[in-house]
Amino acid sequence: MIAQFIFWSLAALTAVSALGVVTMRNTVHSALSLGVCLMGVAGLFATLGADFLFAGQILVYVGGVAVLIMFVVMLLGRASDLHLRQVNNQWAAALLICAISAVGLWRIVKAFPLTGNPSTLAPTTKPLGLLLMSDYAVPFEVVSLVLTGALLGAIYFSHLEREAAK
Amino acid sequence: MITLSHYLALSFFLFLVGIFGALTRRNIIGILMSIELMFNAANINLAAFNRFVHPSGVAGQAVALFIITIAAAEVVVGLALVLSIYRNVDTVYVEEFNLLKG
Repeated sequence: MIAQFIFWSLAALTAVSALGVVTMRNTVHSALSLGVCLMGVAGLFATLGADFLFAGQILVYVGGVAVLIMFVVMLLGRASDLHLRQVNNQWAAALLICAISAVGLWRIVKAFPLTGNPSTLAPTTKPLGLLLMSDYAVPFEVVSLVLTGALLGAIYFSHLEREAAK
Repeated sequence: MITLSHYLALSFFLFLVGIFGALTRRNIIGILMSIELMFNAANINLAAFNRFVHPSGVAGQAVALFIITIAAAEVVVGLALVLSIYRNVDTVYVEEFNLLKG
């Protein structure tokens, strides 16, 4: 009973804030709504027994990505943006694409049998670490290379522009 | 009883909202935020399948962890590019990004 209440409240929080991300006119409100949505997703990870993902989601997404997006929104914002339309003319076509996709995805949802909660919950940090060091060792190293590349790329783009502005 | 279908329906909803935002927002930062929504929908799916279909292992959560890492790298480079573009064309609206038009 309490699990159902937690799931439905987290689901409502996530869904409403996700709608806020795409519909709000003010980009700052959109970014704040994204932070709430990411926290709702973190709570859903917790209800799924993924405790390490919960912590990682909070650390990386809520603490990193949402704050970074907020910084850039505030750097690039203008007062006149609040009076401009934030949605292009293709919203009807986009709704059509979403409706068609929804039909297909709903068929996928119905294809899965209604199975209950299978087992007891256990901490996942240790098995995750063992998996990353054994079966997923190569992707782990590749991801570290990707992160280094992203770091260098971000520095390169911002540094180049600062030189050009002088 | 909360089942796999509930999580699937929620993540599909999140994914559709992300698609709608990525197709209709004019602001490039709004498009990036919609893409983050789609990443999160995929992550919910992975964690839910891990929990309900293969509860003895953590492979789905490991893949979700990789997705979180890649998404962080993507948003860092994406926002650096957005800043760079903004300094060149002085706008954040994607229909005015026509530098390649000659």
